[in-house]
Amino acid sequence: MKNNGLVSGLVLLTIGLVCGILLSVVNYFTAPKIKEVEDAIKYAALEEFYTLADYDISEVSGEGDFGTIFIFKEKGTETIDAIVYTVRAQGYSDSTKVEMLIAVNSDLTVQDYKVVSQQETTGFGADIVDNDFNVSVIDDLSGFDSVSGVTKTSNAIKTCFTLVGERIASDLGGGLNE
Amino acid sequence: MDNLLILAFSAFILENIILSQFLGICPFIGVSTKRSNALGMGMAVLFVMLISSSVTWLLYKYVLELFSITYMRTIVFILVIASLVQMVEIFLKKVSPALYKALGIYLPLITTNCGVLGVAILNISKEHNFLEMVVYTTFIGLGFLFVIYIFSMIREKLEFSPVPKAFKGAPIALVVAAILAIIFSRFGGII
Amino acid sequence: MNNKDNFFKGIIKENPLFVSLLGMCPSLAVTTSFENALGMTMGVFFVLVLSNLLISLIMNNKKLAEMVKPVRIPVYIVVIATLVTIVEMVMHAFTPALYFSLGVFIPLIVVNCIILGRAEAFASDNKPVASLIDGAGMALGYGLAIMSISIFREFLGKGTLTIWGDLQLNLKFIFDFLKIEPIAMFVQPVGAFLTFGLILAAITAIANNHKNKLAKEVKNNG
Repeated sequence: MKNNGLVSGLVLLTIGLVCGILLSVVNYFTAPKIKEVEDAIKYAALEEFYTLADYDISEVSGEGDFGTIFIFKEKGTETIDAIVYTVRAQGYSDSTKVEMLIAVNSDLTVQDYKVVSQQETTGFGADIVDNDFNVSVIDDLSGFDSVSGVTKTSNAIKTCFTLVGERIASDLGGGLNE
Repeated sequence: MDNLLILAFSAFILENIILSQFLGICPFIGVSTKRSNALGMGMAVLFVMLISSSVTWLLYKYVLELFSITYMRTIVFILVIASLVQMVEIFLKKVSPALYKALGIYLPLITTNCGVLGVAILNISKEHNFLEMVVYTTFIGLGFLFVIYIFSMIREKLEFSPVPKAFKGAPIALVVAAILAIIFSRFGGII
Repeated sequence: MNNKDNFFKGIIKENPLFVSLLGMCPSLAVTTSFENALGMTMGVFFVLVLSNLLISLIMNNKKLAEMVKPVRIPVYIVVIATLVTIVEMVMHAFTPALYFSLGVFIPLIVVNCIILGRAEAFASDNKPVASLIDGAGMALGYGLAIMSISIFREFLGKGTLTIWGDLQLNLKFIFDFLKIEPIAMFVQPVGAFLTFGLILAAITAIANNHKNKLAKEVKNNG
């Protein structure tokens, strides 16, 4: 057969295209379901912090170390009651970042916090999630309890709190609405 | 800077590609019977890993994400790696016959080395920026080179050791790898 | 070779993991729990059976086979990668917990040597039905191998056996009875290498024993 290279190339291209189309069809069916699953994980965590039905919740996508920021407004008004930050910081024993949700009320008290994704060395990581870091007010980390022996991860968590502490004031002043 | 150092150290030792992430086990067991082979394989992997991770990272950020077809990731990455390996092979043959002679026979094996594809995907899922990607990939590759080289030295000695018959070959190699893994995981105390 | 032999050769005589040492990376990484190993098995089964079938269909068509021949490896890779991506998307959508715990090892099924190996060694010059059976046998052989490793690792490391989701056997009482703790080392990387090495040695020992017996019989008869 003449032009064997060209023909073969075309066959490869055709097969590639068929596969691409097939994948986009599968993706069309699974993508909404995947989004649903991820939202469910996100909101399940938020549900632990607040009763979701009591608030108007809006999402802002953060930049840099911040992921999605959820703004809780009192129903029907523009007053910000609380902000939940998704924030990431580098753990010391691992290149994977620790991701945390930190919920702060408008009076700067910390409502609650939760480590959402964290794949640090199994064993160490699992313990730390259940620990209480003794942070009650976001701009005061003096009481931060860096759990002895597992400081690698808790340093990352402290960084998360610091990051949130640095930007909370401007956000509560309506910085996010602009 | 601090972050990059931590990233480099953990990629090199704590998250060692072979001993804690289990990527690239086939060449680790298969090509580590001689020191020279291990060195050649390690260098070839480091080289291909760095090139392919850079290319796939750029492709992902500037093509796949742009057209929102990120679900094509696996298919695109593996094709890029396969063709890159071919190109590197042709390029080396032309430009540096000496290097080709040293690395040539390992290159075709690398297409199916899960380490190369694995690191390309990890760089995306860990959301590294370009600089982090370069540092991470370099040190993962160096970690591979380091471990496979140490391992080949041990295996050269093992050849002359009275190993129980059932353990000859792969089984004793795996047990040695287990001991290496214990040592590497304990380095976590440094930082 | 009849269909039955074709199916069973993948499980014992040519077991891809224990005999040919193919696909070692996932067998070490995802064997921390039985559930993970089962999930991996299902993924590999789907991909291997369908890739063997599709590739055999392509290569059995004379005209198509001739055109594909010079680029057959890339064609195999495209077919396999597509199947793997489908598995990835379906797992992400319907079994998210499994998807996150298998992580990078789902896309890495693409470079699992077993799949490309069977495509090149069997499916490319056998009939579709035979390829399908070969794929099923090989995938099942691989699955049984990784599941047996995972049973050892999970039991020794955590004292449990997770079948699927919340369905979990708690075997801690055995450890309580012996007054010891589960050995956490077995679910860490160390345990992966150690367990696999020991199982492989045990299999070699059994195989050697079997061979010696056969040799003796031949001698006695002769």
